[in-house]
Order: sequence, then C-alpha cells, then structure tokens
Amino acid sequence: MSFTNEEILRYSRHLIMPEVALAGQMKLKAASVLCIGAGGLGSPLALYLAAAGVGTLGIVDFDVVDSTNLQRQIIHSTADVGRSKVESAAEKLRAINPLIQLRLFDTTLSSENAMEIFRDFDIIADGTDNFATRYLVNDACVLSGKPNVYASVFRFEGQATVFAADRGPCYRCLYPEPPPPGMVPSCAEGGVLGVLPGLLGVIQATEVIKLILGSGDSLIGRLLLVDALGMRFREVKLRKDPECPVCGANPTVRELIDYEQFCGVRGAESESTASVPEIRPEELKRRLDNGEDILVLDVREPHEYEICHLRGHLIPLGDLPRRVHELDSSREIVAYCKIGVRSAKAVEFLRSMGFRRVRNLTGGIDAWAERIDPTMPRY
Amino acid sequence: MIRVVLPAHLRTLARVSGEVALDVEGTVTQGSVLNALEARCPMLRGTIRDHVTGARRPFVRFFACEQDLSLDSPDAPLPDAVAAGVEPFLVVGAIAGG
Repeated sequence: MSFTNEEILRYSRHLIMPEVALAGQMKLKAASVLCIGAGGLGSPLALYLAAAGVGTLGIVDFDVVDSTNLQRQIIHSTADVGRSKVESAAEKLRAINPLIQLRLFDTTLSSENAMEIFRDFDIIADGTDNFATRYLVNDACVLSGKPNVYASVFRFEGQATVFAADRGPCYRCLYPEPPPPGMVPSCAEGGVLGVLPGLLGVIQATEVIKLILGSGDSLIGRLLLVDALGMRFREVKLRKDPECPVCGANPTVRELIDYEQFCGVRGAESESTASVPEIRPEELKRRLDNGEDILVLDVREPHEYEICHLRGHLIPLGDLPRRVHELDSSREIVAYCKIGVRSAKAVEFLRSMGFRRVRNLTGGIDAWAERIDPTMPRY
Repeated sequence: MIRVVLPAHLRTLARVSGEVALDVEGTVTQGSVLNALEARCPMLRGTIRDHVTGARRPFVRFFACEQDLSLDSPDAPLPDAVAAGVEPFLVVGAIAGG
C-alpha cells in the first residue's frame, strides 16, 4: 500500500506529526471502521473518520432523514428529508473524501445480520439510539473480538468509553440489564441539545483514530461523563465484571439473542403503553365534540404545554403523586403526553391509587397532531 | 453536607436542578445517603434501588472520587472526600440516545 501525491498533500497535517506520520496514515488507510447509525453521533463520527482517511468506512442505518433530525444530524441537509440516511451520508462523505471506500448497509442491524456485517471491520463505533441495539452491538463485538467505541447522549449529558473485552469491561459489565421500557426517556421524548452528539461523536472519532494508530491512552476501562450544561468532564474507572454473562470467566451468552425481548420492547415504546387501557385520538375527539364529561390530563412539562396542548389539566408526571388530590376519581380521565409513554405511567399510577375510569391517549399529542389537527405544531 | 449528582431523567422526576445537597446522620455510606435522598425525594424510590430488595438496580451505578463503588457494600463508608462534601456521590444511569 502506498500514497499518491494527492493523498500526501491531503493528509499533510497528519504526516508532519511524528505521532501519526506516514506509518500512522498508512494504518488509517488500511483500517476499516463500521459506524452503527448515521444520526447525531454518527454524523460527526463518520465525517471526521472520512476526512482523516480511514480507508474503509461502513455505515449501518435503516432510517430515512426526518426534519426533526436536522437540529443535530449534521451529515444530512434539508434537501435530504425523506431520503435514506445511508445514501444521504454517503454523498457527504464522498464529497469530503472521494479516496476512501464506503460500504453501506441500508438495513436494521439485527441478531441475524450483525456478525456477518461486523466480519469485515476492525473497529465498531456505536452511535445507535436504543438499548436493544446497544446490547446487540456489545455482544456482537465481544463475540467477534472487536473493540466497541461507545457514546450515548440524553438532554445535556453524554457518556463515552471504549469497550474492548480482551483488555477491559464490556457494556454488560457496566449495565448488566437495560432500564424497563419507558423508565429512561429517549431523546425523542426527553430532548437532546443538538450540539451534544457532535461533542460525543467527535470523542468517538478521536478514540477510533487512536485505536488505529495504537497511540495515546484510550478510554478502555474509563467512562467519560460529559455535562454540557455545566461544561464538566468527569472521568470514572470501570471494572470488568468477572460474572459478566458475555465476557466473564463463564459466559452464558455464546451467541446473539433476541435483544428486543431482552430489553422488554416490541416496537419501540409499544410494550410500555400496551398494558394500560387506551383511547384512540379519533374516539376522544368524537366524544369531546359530543360534549361528554372527560377530564383531559396533560402530564407533560409546562414548556411542552406552551408548544401545543389539548386544553387539558396540566400536572407533570413527576408532580402527580403530590397533586393527585386535584383529580376527581369519579370522572372519566384521559391522560396524554407527547407520545404516550409518560401518560401510560400516569395511568398506571392513577389506577394503583384507585382511579378506575382512566385511559391513556394512544400515541399522545403527536398522534393527535398527525391525525386530528394537522395545524398543531409537532415537536 | 453530602453532594449527590443524579442522572438527568431522575432530576426531572425529583424536580431538582443541579446537585442535591443532603444532611446525613452518622456514618456516611451508600445506604445512608440513598435513604436521605429518598426521604427528600420520595418519587425516586424504586428508581435507583429496587422497591422490594433495596438492591441497586442493574442500569444504575455509583461512583465517587473516580472509583466505581457499585459493587461495594451499601454499609461501607464512602470516601472521606464525599463525607466532607468535597467530592460528589455520582449516581450514573444508562442512557441510549444517539
């Protein structure tokens, strides 16, 4: 393998650093890195790895670009809305560096295809957005002996580390089990500062490049906790769990499992809302129009109420236990939130308090905006 | 005064911003700090420790002074820097956003 004059000029700022130099740039060119997700983390991650000259870059994503992505997923532009994310990303990556090879996987990463997709890559970078895929990526990395360069974000906070089970802990050593569905909100539900995945994705790209170069101190065995609001970076040591079911001394997970079942989800958030009585937006609209006595309970936060509402009684979910006396248990109550997860918890709580005529609005105010009132802003 | 840092979703649930400052009687341990935290913020019961067993939930970890204290006994004294309020007791939870 050698470099053309064009490559030498392009990578000159690397080549003049002794820590990289020609040998290091050669390692980058020979390397293959798989980015799981072309979203908030995957955008800066893939852009910087392409710019750095990582020879083969894989992108896995099943999704299409949505306008709500554009606040943080900077690899996509307004004109890409509706387009496949891997196609949109590939166009930008080729524009930045046409000298690298791209391998695109316009598919959902699953237990059936993960080992096959991972096989041709040296390093996996996890930029996905759900627990089921994170456990899948972890287990596939441990089973295939590949490092997992990890980051995750929520609101103003991020976590980053490198899981390399032969030299340190894996994701299951850190979090043996995922939270129950709905307990930890997703970014779609709780929000995320747009620049935050940029920060964490760049940290991932840095760790990937260091692993390839074999330079510096990697984040293996260390968890970086990022608080963007306080602009604090804390570092804590991680311990390998000798009892870890996948990387411990006596592993019980020897092949990929059903991760949706493991995480208790079937179709994102459906499981967490399915166990409580529900009412569809169409039925609620009809009954409200008929003047029926229904108390509409909004369990979102006041700043969400400002964006749009159904003129319901606002009690944020966290306040419900101490403000439950404001509600009349003899009335019929329909609780709603943004997409139905928090309100399902509210319904569960109210039923445990003896409320019998309480139901959850299926799909929340987002479904109402989509199906009943298209003039209502969605967020 | 003991300083406790909570994950974002638990701060929302507990209606607190920033660190939680707690007075803890007697020896400062994980158990005594979490008891004081749950007494201050009852809505956190069951989110950090199991309602029934009182054990740390598997998607939450405890750190202080850069060390992982998650597997330590709940009755083991926390580092002096935590007891003195110099360093916070960190409750870190799994997040999956990307």
